[in-house]
Amino acid sequence: MVGELERLDAWAAALVQRAEARGVLLIARAQARRVRRVVVHDGRIEATSSASLTGCGIQIVDPAGHSVIASRDGLEIEPALGLVDRLVELLARADRLGIERCPLAELAPLRDRRVPVDPAAFDRIDLGAVGRRLLDLEREIAGRVPNTSVQVSYRAELDAWRVFRSDGTDVLFAAPRCNLTTRLTGRQAAARHAVSAAVFSPTPDIDDEDSTVRLFLRRAEIAARLALALPDAPPHPAGSFPLVIDYGLAKGLAHEAFGHAAEADGLRSSVLARDGRFRVGETVGADHVSVIDEPVEGDHAWQPFSANGVRRDRVVIVDHGRLCDALSDPWSAAAGGVRLTGAERSESFRHAPQPRMTNIRIEVDAPLAAPGEFETYDPLGVRELLRAAGVLRRHPRVVYLSGYAGGQVNTSSGDFVFQCKAIYTLDERGATLQRPAIFSGSMFGALGSIREAFGPLQLDAIGTCGKWGQSVPSSGGSHYFLVLEPHERVRLGGR
Amino acid sequence: MDLSALLEAIGRGPRGADLRAWSFAGSVSRRASLGVKDGQAGNAHAPFTLGETSTVHYLLVWSDGRVSRGTWERRQVEREIDRALDEARLAAYDDPDAARVCGRASLPVVALHDAAAARAALGEVTEIADRLNAVREMVARRSFRTWSGSFAAAEGMTRVVTSQGFDAATSGTSLSWHVSLNGESGDGYGARRAETHAEFLARLERLAAIADDLARDADPDGGRDDLVLLHPRVVEAYVVETLLANLDGAAVAHGQSHFDRHGFGSDTPVLREDIELLVDPLLPHRLGSYACTGEGVPASRTALVERGRLVSPVLDLKYARRLGLEPTAQPYAMDTVRFGGAEQIPNSDALDRAVGGLLVLSVLGIHTQDPTSGDFSLSAQQSLRIGPRGFAGRQRSTISGNLFELLRRDDLVFVAFEGETTPGLLTRCRIHPT
Repeated sequence: MVGELERLDAWAAALVQRAEARGVLLIARAQARRVRRVVVHDGRIEATSSASLTGCGIQIVDPAGHSVIASRDGLEIEPALGLVDRLVELLARADRLGIERCPLAELAPLRDRRVPVDPAAFDRIDLGAVGRRLLDLEREIAGRVPNTSVQVSYRAELDAWRVFRSDGTDVLFAAPRCNLTTRLTGRQAAARHAVSAAVFSPTPDIDDEDSTVRLFLRRAEIAARLALALPDAPPHPAGSFPLVIDYGLAKGLAHEAFGHAAEADGLRSSVLARDGRFRVGETVGADHVSVIDEPVEGDHAWQPFSANGVRRDRVVIVDHGRLCDALSDPWSAAAGGVRLTGAERSESFRHAPQPRMTNIRIEVDAPLAAPGEFETYDPLGVRELLRAAGVLRRHPRVVYLSGYAGGQVNTSSGDFVFQCKAIYTLDERGATLQRPAIFSGSMFGALGSIREAFGPLQLDAIGTCGKWGQSVPSSGGSHYFLVLEPHERVRLGGR
Repeated sequence: MDLSALLEAIGRGPRGADLRAWSFAGSVSRRASLGVKDGQAGNAHAPFTLGETSTVHYLLVWSDGRVSRGTWERRQVEREIDRALDEARLAAYDDPDAARVCGRASLPVVALHDAAAARAALGEVTEIADRLNAVREMVARRSFRTWSGSFAAAEGMTRVVTSQGFDAATSGTSLSWHVSLNGESGDGYGARRAETHAEFLARLERLAAIADDLARDADPDGGRDDLVLLHPRVVEAYVVETLLANLDGAAVAHGQSHFDRHGFGSDTPVLREDIELLVDPLLPHRLGSYACTGEGVPASRTALVERGRLVSPVLDLKYARRLGLEPTAQPYAMDTVRFGGAEQIPNSDALDRAVGGLLVLSVLGIHTQDPTSGDFSLSAQQSLRIGPRGFAGRQRSTISGNLFELLRRDDLVFVAFEGETTPGLLTRCRIHPT
């Protein structure tokens, strides 16, 4: 499939030539994606599938700055040239719709290639062998925690792109994404809860990587025990409390609360902008806290170039409490008063690129020690960290939110919500499980209330971002645990 | 999509001889869309977009009883079918319940296509331009700070063919729009053809009135802590979707649902005894309407819950066989799902009964809830305090409770809303102002 993209030199030259002849600038995106998937449940294979997606998206920009896109399955030259012609005809009707004029900023041409894995490894995946391996894993999980319904899934995806522009830009990259996920549901008749767990790797033999499989089983066991315990757990009272959040929830906080509001296509209404300009230099959080987004090779959400063929930069959104950089693209950077960071991504060749995150994290200066792996910390272990650091002297009762279960933000108001998988009350008596509740509030309140951090950075919290109806992989994290002081605009829902 | 190369390969090649049964659903669609971001129509982040898509969903039952399922793209079907069949054979697995295809059947006549929507899907802009201009006029007249939205039209053709003689081709269209004002309150419409311009304007004005109400805050004191009127959009997005997630045949078969297999057909109610939930894909020009599923199951009206009792999960061929039941209608869109109780009260009566409570217009965090337990804890930032003489301003809150307990309450009331097919719900849950 990468080879298919590598053979597009003549295809691209013909498209650029046609665009020049019609007096427009061109961005051509060719994509070849292949996904292999196996699902097992209750001792049998429920689905095995292989799917591919190959096609092109053609974007043209006329001298007035009008921009339109057309897409089609396949990479044949004549239909692609036909798309250019159709788009030029469509632009003739642009005035009737009052389409906005957004001239394309002048960009430096770029020619580069990043394919960090052997694409042939994805062709060699033996789905039958994967299915047998998943059945072993499912038996192992069910054996460790009986009385749970266990579903285990394998997904291996290689997502390859080649982006051409009229100015000679030609970049090719392939992003490998493989993961094992499990969904555990308690079998109690009266009340059931479901809890999920996942691991990822850039290589398709993830199901045979010893360390990754060990981590997967450990996370699955924790999730299964939680699914069994939750029906008996009481709800937590609503209100503002001293909180501890784990790195998965910290990723959610960074992603929902700050990342989306720093996307430059939304600065005309974002709470982080004034009159459409990013509020660079203004204080938005505690001065020992930074928020950083960058592509990390080997990561689930890695993307080295943007969907417009711009190299993706490291972006320090918040630098020690002050707003610094936005996630921008060629159409939004100048208007937002920020530098171009190449942050635009698309779900597929059919979609218009949008500035958005890759791997986002919260970093805290001088984190306190938390030796060992994250998974070794059960709620009592977290409580011991807090006790040793004096947090429990400051707050005799701390609420620990564990496990990220998705979130959402309103970038206009700065209101965010996210859900955890479990709540534990930590106090002198120990750790008491309570049912999950929505964690919501103001982004400024949340970032300003971060006080301590424990442990090294752990950036493997993965998810899917659904901005503007497009799903792309997201990831990130923080130190193992963050402590948040109580804040009236940061609240837990609950009883 | 032209399936002739595929059907020829099945008929002549060695892989075809290795097949016991097969089923294909090939589709081709064209789509045109336009976005608006913060008042900018068709800018580079929400451009006018034309798209063409074609895929084939396949089910292959091999001579040894193993099955292969998946999708092929046009390239594979038209030029690489022998290789695609070889790869499918390598990926085959044992799943006896999935080894089932439909035979000949007569299909119901369902209105799915509209010529104006089809023209819009090809890039004709009249329909979109009229609506866009109406929104711009309203936004300017009422001085809203900003607005965003989307307008889309699509036309698709689908052919379902099976080895057992089923062969049906259908075509359909869709037209949809969504508008949000001030970056918050939003509404929209979708169907297989456009609503009348008067209906469009009426919906737009209702949205504008809500946005105006949300612009002023309620007095922080004086509200009740337990009475909510969930708007039909919240009912569809959370209540009905959660019920459907638990009625999914796979979830029921695998013990991942709130409901057990033995509960279906039982005389024991699981919800209040007047509650019903049914799927009717025969309704004309609805987004969720269809003549047959992608497997070739003819459309029919299906009750999922009647008198508070479980009737059937939502079942495709595989899970129908697994659970020993008949395949059902599929809830492809909310406008063919009917949810409600024995009676509905008018919206005005509900507001009288709910003084001091909250009208919840939208919630954040629906996708983060665990549907299996029914526990909910949602951020209701777009809520209006209900006063004795209309709305008394915005009250940001979180709401929490358990959905299944809520749907068993005697004091639950279904409320009719103008322009909505799903009722609102007047009920009690925990409210915490934020």
